[in-house]
Formats: sequence, structure tokens, C-alpha cells
Amino acid sequence: MIMLDSVGDLEAARKKILHQQQKAKKIISLCGGTGCQTMRSLAVIEAIRDELSKHGMGEDVHVRVTGCHGFCEQGPLVILEPGNIFYCHVSANDAKDIVSKTIRSGEVLERLLYTDPVSGDKIRTESEIPFYKAQDRQLLSQNRLIDPCSIEDYIATGGYSALAKVLDKIKPEKIINEIAEAGLRGRGGGGFPTGRKWTECREAPGDDKYVICNADEGDPGAYMDRCLLEGNPHSVLEGMAIGAWAIGANHGYIYVRNEYPIAVKNARTAVDQARSMGLLGENIFGSSFSFDVDIARGGGAFVCGESTALMASLEGKVGEPRPKDVHTVIDGLWHKPTTLNNVETWANVPLIIINGSKWFASKGTKGSKGTKILALTGQIKNTGLVEVAMGTSLRKIVFDIGGGGANGNAIKAVQTGGPSGGCLPLDQFDLPVDFDVLTQAGSMVGSGGMVVMDEHSCMVDVAKYFLTFLQDESCGKCVPCRLGIDRMLEIITDITEGRGTPGQIDLLKELAETVSQTSLCGLGKTAPNPVLSTLRHFEKEYEAHINQKKCPAGVCKALITYSIDPEKCNGCGVCKRSCAHEAILGIKKSAHVIDPYLCQKCGICKSDCKFDAILVN
Amino acid sequence: MLQYVNVTIDGAVARVPKGRSVLDAAIEYGVCIPHLCHVPYLSDFGGCRLCIVEHVVNGRSTITTSCTLNAQEGMVIKSNSDKVKKLRRNIAELLVAQAPNSRAIQDIAVRCGVKEVRYPFRRGDCVLCGRCVRSCTELWKAKAIGFVGRGKNRHVDYPFGVHPDFCKHCGYCTQLCPMSITPCDGPMKPGQERLCGKCDSQLQVTEEMPDACVWCKLGEGFGCGRYA
Repeated sequence: MIMLDSVGDLEAARKKILHQQQKAKKIISLCGGTGCQTMRSLAVIEAIRDELSKHGMGEDVHVRVTGCHGFCEQGPLVILEPGNIFYCHVSANDAKDIVSKTIRSGEVLERLLYTDPVSGDKIRTESEIPFYKAQDRQLLSQNRLIDPCSIEDYIATGGYSALAKVLDKIKPEKIINEIAEAGLRGRGGGGFPTGRKWTECREAPGDDKYVICNADEGDPGAYMDRCLLEGNPHSVLEGMAIGAWAIGANHGYIYVRNEYPIAVKNARTAVDQARSMGLLGENIFGSSFSFDVDIARGGGAFVCGESTALMASLEGKVGEPRPKDVHTVIDGLWHKPTTLNNVETWANVPLIIINGSKWFASKGTKGSKGTKILALTGQIKNTGLVEVAMGTSLRKIVFDIGGGGANGNAIKAVQTGGPSGGCLPLDQFDLPVDFDVLTQAGSMVGSGGMVVMDEHSCMVDVAKYFLTFLQDESCGKCVPCRLGIDRMLEIITDITEGRGTPGQIDLLKELAETVSQTSLCGLGKTAPNPVLSTLRHFEKEYEAHINQKKCPAGVCKALITYSIDPEKCNGCGVCKRSCAHEAILGIKKSAHVIDPYLCQKCGICKSDCKFDAILVN
Repeated sequence: MLQYVNVTIDGAVARVPKGRSVLDAAIEYGVCIPHLCHVPYLSDFGGCRLCIVEHVVNGRSTITTSCTLNAQEGMVIKSNSDKVKKLRRNIAELLVAQAPNSRAIQDIAVRCGVKEVRYPFRRGDCVLCGRCVRSCTELWKAKAIGFVGRGKNRHVDYPFGVHPDFCKHCGYCTQLCPMSITPCDGPMKPGQERLCGKCDSQLQVTEEMPDACVWCKLGEGFGCGRYA
């Protein structure tokens, strides 16, 4: 690889790469993100490569394995250039047709096109699909153009020109000014103004300073950072380099979960490539700025996503938070001033530098600017990664982009911000995605996880799930978090198992307040949110569990009984065969009955019955 | 040269060396902020959260532990506002429900105004205050014990569960342990755990003056400012 010693070198290299890329007339972009890989996209890639070499087209067609395209529900995804044809649910068997028909003769395969669930029309290109149409993809749109293991692809799309621009002619103070004016706020959950963080770090005394990229994403159902780091690691590196130059740091760390093997691998490859091209190392672009990045792998503790715990872990200590009476921008990693930002925050930095703070500030609301990537999961039709401008209403995200409930079920609530966030009911869906508004409503934007729940979800059970997660992930250092969450879980378990007493709701509220006010770190401070928000919006469900000993959604096993509706049951015997506990009795062609003593309430009979004859009370 | 700063604690102005923790300053001036994991000659790690205070900045108050908060000029601290008292009582209630078999913990509960325990008692034998671990690590540099595990499974143990040769047998860990002081009547029988609150003198004091220092057993053993 060539060394880039000056800004001119970068431009020359870009021209050269673009010239080379124009040689390949046709491009097949295959999603190699984690979502598609689990749906065997690697086999598709292999099959397409085989097919191409069979037809002797290996030279003319460029096969690009990219990061996540976002529409994980429809994976594996393939995009063909020219024509921008979007194929979904591609399997290895389709490779033959794709190469011989679409690539060779330009024939579009109808069966692989996306079908609009409303109109039933076949849709040809990505931009026409409702899921993509309603989004504002600034960060994610790069993913399909870039092979994450190729620095050339990144440079070809304009990469590293932001770094060149700042090193060439923008003073560090001005960069920070630009970021502050753009109104960029931390994307990891806290929403702290990035410009202010950088200013404080720059002004902190000390020569050695550090920048850290927090890629220790652990919220259940959230994978935004993962896909960014997997799909476009260089944008993160470039953002970090710009940040380091702005605050006066010479060393950076990417702290990434070891459970994200592709992210670790791609980040490592990116760092090696950037080093070999002189984009990391001594005197970048011939300037006085030297900067290098190390990759550190996290051991899988959720609490290590907290800034001080992450730094303790980086230092080789046990990953436990410490009191933050002195902020990490002054006393951080190895007691040096440290700027820690989330993957998405760093990835936004080059965009702001290139397009200007005005462009960034033009998107979003008064307090929250720019776009936000959200991971849409749960009982919803279109799961996947969604990037929308801040201020977009939850309704638009869940119904326009997400397509409403899966299997046509009515949507009941959405949990925003992962375990630290809260559940918002359907009547609050007009709230915008905005740091301040959602916090006021008792939830938070958080890192961007969005778990959609339908009518078959019991909100008490949801609160119990998140408390179980948090109890497991609490480090146990401080009393309110360790014992408080444990006791909250104890109370909620009592409620779901029919031992609840009316006074417990007040106790739960008081305990939740104690935990949120007095815990040591952010994990404990936000841990009661799922309980508080479900109590706030769904107190009736709690009361039903406690007073009537009923679970309205039919989830809590101790409070429900299964029975068979003799009117509907025609005695087909499917349930009898599928019941693992032999709890269903009856003779063929006459109504069956469930033995309540043997029934384990697994629900298999209900899912197997074609006549809706199984009743849950 | 030592720099001094003025800190307002509960309305009284205290002149303390810069950088000293608010808890130390308060104890020095006779304001008893309850505490468990704080030991004067060990580092503070803010684990027990009993020493919480309200730190008022520009009219907005935040709750923080006084042991980790360094005194700075013009600081305004409220150590016994209603809010702090309520939160502190809840934390003490959690502690005493976890480990009722310690006179020290029972005393703290009385001191913090716990009147009833709303959770089922457990027979925990460690509240993870970390006194033993920090004394072993910081005072004797032995590192013969440490925290193992996370969350609910967190406990104090030897490295890999084996008593190491480098333990200096100083016995300091047991000396500092709040669990080593049993209730006056001896350990409670299983199933009969209760909030003790028996010491008439203490109970009277806390009922009449809820913020008063009750000269707790913990303070006596471990060099609380009152006993120094």
C-alpha cells in the first residue's frame, strides 16, 4: 500500500482508486452483516463467486461483501449495480439465476424482489421500499457502498478527507466549536453535549490525553454500534483521529465486545490498513499530529459500557465503576484526561466536518440534532436498523417504517433505550425521538434499542425480564444497586407468581426511587426505569396481578390456566399428540380436556391448535 | 502549604483543608454522617452509600456520597435533609434485611431511623463493605483477599479460593469486619431474625433527635471521629 504523506497524496490516491473501480462495470453488493450471516449469506457469497467464475465473469463483476444494510428481517440482501436492483431472502440456490439472468442479460427476478405487504406490489429498488423511504440514512447509507475490509472503498467514497481538512487548515478550537455548534450529543445513551465534553478535556491540565471509542454495546436487542463498526470501521477511526487532534490526544482505544467477532476483526483490519497508509501513526499527512489506536476487547460485562468501569477494564483492573465526583474528562484512563464517546458519535464527526455544522443542525429538534440509528426489534413486521432524523415520532418509526405488529397483532408499547429505558404505551407514540422529551416521559433515547411489544406481552413480566438482566449484570459494588435491584426483582416475582400484596406497589416505587437516586453509576441510576415506567403507564396490569390474581396478557404462568373450548374443539387430537406432559385427554372426534394438575402451561397446544379452541384465563 | 476552603455543612461553615473529603470534614466538625465502608486510613470507594448528602450547586441538589466528594470552596452540603434521611433509611433497611446478625448493622439501622423492615430477612454474612479487602490491599499490600464474582454472586475470597502463603495473618480483616460484632443476645435463630432496635438508650436518642449520633458499635471499634 502507498503511504499518504500529504493531503495531495490522498486526493491522488482517491483518483487512482476511482479509476480502477470504474473498470468493473457491474457490482454485486452482498450484505455480510451479522444478521444476514446468520441467514447464511456467506453461502450465498460463495455460490455467487463460484457461478461467476464458471461463467468466466470473475473479472468484470465486482463482488462486494458489505456491512449491514439495515433491513435484517429480509436478509440475506443482495444489491446489483447497475440498476440498483434489490433482492431479498436470497439463498445459495438463487445464485445461478442471479448470475445467468440478472447479471448476464439484465432480467429482473420477480421472486426475489421485495413485496410490499400492503399493496402486494413487487418493488425493484431499495429507495422505493417504505422501510427505507421513511428514513434519513446518513451513516448507514455508506454501508452498502463499502467493503469494511477495504480502505480503498472508504477513500473512494470520500473517506479521510475530513481528517485531511482539519489537519490542513482547521485549528483544534475551531473543530470543537464546529461540533458544539452542530449540537451533537452523545449517542451512547447519556446525550451529553459532545462539544462541551471535548472543550473540558482540551482545557484539562496534562500532556497525555486519551480518546476512547465505546463499542461495548450490551443492551438486549440493540446492535447499532455493532453494525457501524462492522460495516464502516474507518469512519469511526477518522472521527477518533479528528477528536484526538481537537483535544490534543495522541492515543486512542476502541473498546469492543469480544462477543462481536466480526466487529473486532474488521476494526483490527481497519487499524492495520490505516497504519500502513500512514493515516495512523507519526506525523499524519505530514503534519505535527501523531495518533495511534489500539483495539481492546471487552470480556462481556454489561457494566463495562459505563465510562469509568470501561476505563478500569482498559487499565487491566476489574471492570467496576468508580465515583465520578471528578469527571473522566479530567481524571480518566490512567488518571489522565480522557474523552470517551460512543461509536455512533465518532462516526458522526467526519460528516459534520465535511458538511458543516449548519447541515447537521438543520436536522432534528431544538435540543437534539442530527440523525439517530435505532435498532427496531420485537413483535414488529420489519425488524432491522433504522436511521431517522431526531424528532421523528415513535408512531412513524413503529408503523411507517416498522410496518406495525407482526402477524397483525395490536401494538401495546415500545421499550426505548434498552434495560435503562422505559416502556411507552401506544397513546404516547406521538412523542418524538428526542433526548429531553423521552427522558421527561420516563424513558430515554439511550443507545437506540427499540423493542416493540404487542398485546400478548405482560408488562409486569417485561419489567421482570429487565430486572433479571440488570441483577445479573450489576457489578455488585454498591448497596442500592446490588440489594435494591435484587429486592425489586423479589417483589415483582412475588407479584407475577400470585403472592403480591397491595402495599407492594408503594414499596416498589419507594425502592425504585432509592436505587435511582443513590446508586454509584449509570447502570444503577437507570435500573428502576423499566419498573417505574411500566408502573406509570400500566399500573392496572400490576393491580390485576395483585388484586384479581390474573395476568391480563396471559403470560405469567402462575396466574393462568389453560382450558379447551368444547364448542370449538373438534377432537382432531393435534394438541394431545403435541403435549409433552400428556396433560390432554380425550377421544378422537370429541372435545378434549386439559388436566390442570399435569398441565405445565407451556403453550404448545395453543400454538398448534388450528381452531383457536385453547383458552387462556 | 495547606490551603483551606470554606464548606457549608448543614448551615454551619466549616474550614477544612482543600481536598479533604466532605465526610471527614463533617466528622471533624461533629456532624455525624452515618457510614459503613469508610475507614479513615483507607481509600474510599463509595460502596455502602450510607454517607449520602445533598450537594447543592446553583440551587440544584444532587445526591452523592460524602466520602468521595472532595471539599471545595463555597460548597453547600446538606447532610440531614428529609430527602437524604429517607433515602438513607431505605439503604439501611436493605442492609439490615440482608444481614440482621450484626450489631453494627443493627446500630446503623437504628441510627438511620429504620422502624420496620419491609423485606423478608436473609441470613447474609457479608455486606461487601470492602473494609477487609481494602485493608489487606492498601495497608498490608498483601492482596490475600479480594472480591470475586459479579452482582449477586459477588463475595470476598482468597485468590482462586485457596488460602495463599502471602497472607500475613495480621487478622486485620476480621478486626475491621462489621459482621464480627454479634447482637447482644448472640446470633439470631434462623427464622427469628428481626430488627433489634433494643438498645433503649439508642432508641430513645434516635426517636427524640433523629439525626443524633448514637455512638454506634461500629464507630467505637473502627475509629469514628467520636471515639478518636
